[in-house]
Amino acid sequence: MPDTPALKITDLRFRYPAPREGEAFELSMPSLSLAQGEQMLLAARSGGGKSTLLNLICGLMDPDSGSIEIAGQNIHALRGPARDRFRGRSIGMVFQTFNLLTGFSAAENVMAAMMFSAIPASEHRGRALELLASLGIANPHEEAENLSVGQQQRVAVARAVACDPVIVLADEPTASLDPENAANAVDLLEKACQARNASLLCVSHDPTIASRFTRRESLAIAGAAL
Amino acid sequence: MAMTDWTIVTRSLRTRFFSTATTVVSVAVAVGLMLVLLMLQASGRKAFERGTGNVHLLVSRDASGLVSVLNGMFYAGAPLKPVTYAEYERIAGSLPLEWAVPVQLGDSYKGQWPVLATSPEFFTKFRPAEDATWTFAQGAAFAKDFELVVGAAAARATGLRIGSRVVLTHGAASSRASGVAGHEHGEFQYTVVGVLEPTGTPHDRALFSNLNSSWLIHAVDRLEREHAAGEHDDMDDHEHHDHASVSEKDLIDADRKITNIYLRVATRPGQDASAAVPVVMEHLRRHPEFQAAPLTVAGPVQEIRRLDAIVGNINQLLVIMAAVVMASSGVGIMLALYNSMQQRQRQIAVLRVLGASRGRIFGLIITESAFIGVLGAGVGLGVGMIGAQIATGVLRVRLGISISPETSPLILAYIFLMTLALSVLAGLVPAIMAYRTSVWRNLRPVA
Repeated sequence: MPDTPALKITDLRFRYPAPREGEAFELSMPSLSLAQGEQMLLAARSGGGKSTLLNLICGLMDPDSGSIEIAGQNIHALRGPARDRFRGRSIGMVFQTFNLLTGFSAAENVMAAMMFSAIPASEHRGRALELLASLGIANPHEEAENLSVGQQQRVAVARAVACDPVIVLADEPTASLDPENAANAVDLLEKACQARNASLLCVSHDPTIASRFTRRESLAIAGAAL
Repeated sequence: MAMTDWTIVTRSLRTRFFSTATTVVSVAVAVGLMLVLLMLQASGRKAFERGTGNVHLLVSRDASGLVSVLNGMFYAGAPLKPVTYAEYERIAGSLPLEWAVPVQLGDSYKGQWPVLATSPEFFTKFRPAEDATWTFAQGAAFAKDFELVVGAAAARATGLRIGSRVVLTHGAASSRASGVAGHEHGEFQYTVVGVLEPTGTPHDRALFSNLNSSWLIHAVDRLEREHAAGEHDDMDDHEHHDHASVSEKDLIDADRKITNIYLRVATRPGQDASAAVPVVMEHLRRHPEFQAAPLTVAGPVQEIRRLDAIVGNINQLLVIMAAVVMASSGVGIMLALYNSMQQRQRQIAVLRVLGASRGRIFGLIITESAFIGVLGAGVGLGVGMIGAQIATGVLRVRLGISISPETSPLILAYIFLMTLALSVLAGLVPAIMAYRTSVWRNLRPVA
């Protein structure tokens, strides 16, 4: 449904296991909504709970209370393989260090995302090559670790949008880049998401990219990391 | 081609090629060892049974029937006590026998090639195996004293051929039947007159001469002993007892010794078994004439089965050892995968984020482990079959025992499935590790 938000967080609370007695940390976020196709920067300081938030959105961690809906589906209401399937089909993820599969080519990295989707296997290769070509990768059969940092980032973006996800989560996508490349990386992410009408939630503490987003929130404002 | 679970499995194995290859080799060695043992276990027994030829009963004065068969038909050692030729003649003439062939063992060529002295009927009546007859590659059987026929393996190994002249060691070091320690009589030269075709039996390692030749040498030894003891005062030097002076007329009953009698009881035409065999056996065992010095009467086939029952325990032990080697190769698979898990947790975490379930990750690792097992089993079965051929070749050349390794599909399937099960079992611990991999911990940026 077009009016259903891509991401809707309601009364989210997650209590970290205390590393030492007397210390307790809690992530809380009363509400956050991201419309379909909308792009947003969620600023957070280092250690401010952003990775935890992303893991909760992905369904890799369970909240203590509250709910997270992706396109109207409460991800934590799903169990086991159903949740994994849903994550693979609805959520794209871009990591700070790309986390490409070593020993696999650029095309295989993109096809790896499609392995767990509903896309017919016969279409995987064509879609991957087309996607990589559109992102300027001329050598899709080169092993990922042999590509330049910029190319690796493109492959990571291609993998994130390969299954036409509802939302792409980017975790510090510019942390290891210089300002010029950081701007290019954000540009690439924005355009790739726009092209597939995927929402983009970029979590970063990099102030230089803040101006790229029309909607900017702070994790501290949106919720709290205590 | 699309990415599949199989792509991930094979790529992972290829990435760790050295580790994968060494693990596959260790599994293959274990599988090959197991296959060779199981193959030779069954076919070895048949080969031993085959080596007893068409003999129904073997008569000797060895300590037991099994020893008698091992000495008298497989040349395991020299018999301890003799049977006189007179006894042989009485047995051959008084029982319902198809034939009876006298045999004397104890001499050797160069200490390692046994010499069997016998009658010409050995080559006409006795068959070395049910499916083999004596065929001469060169020459013919001995017709005179000091003529020699050489078995195929012995001829190949020693280079003896028609016309070769050799001196035999009389009274092998281990022989007590002859009453003398092993020594050579240079004055008695044998001439090779025949070389046999291979029979695939222990007889291929032997040399054959007539009984008279051996008895003449015995006579010389006896006369020398008597002379040394002063029993022949009229013979004042050794020269009187040399080759030139001793002939058949000098032989006495004490010289005419044999060690075994190969017997075949009369059978109906076209039949191998005879109901008279146990009767003849009992007759020989209980006959009053032989009570003072009892004969050992053995059924060679039954004795070989007894031997198999005895060594069966050792075979089982060997199979258990091979199973232990297989189990240790399973541990090798587990360790190889376990070590790889340390390096692959990030890859597993990425696959989980991309949508792979825990169960699918578990399945990937189990598949990888099973594939190593299947590869190892495939290579091992091939190596085992080649190894069995080599082992049987060595046995044939060295011992003259012809073994046809049996490649029963049941044995192959059994080993294959056992290896597969073992490899799956070995993959369980790494697979559980992979199943429990923490995604968010392993996706943290590396410092």
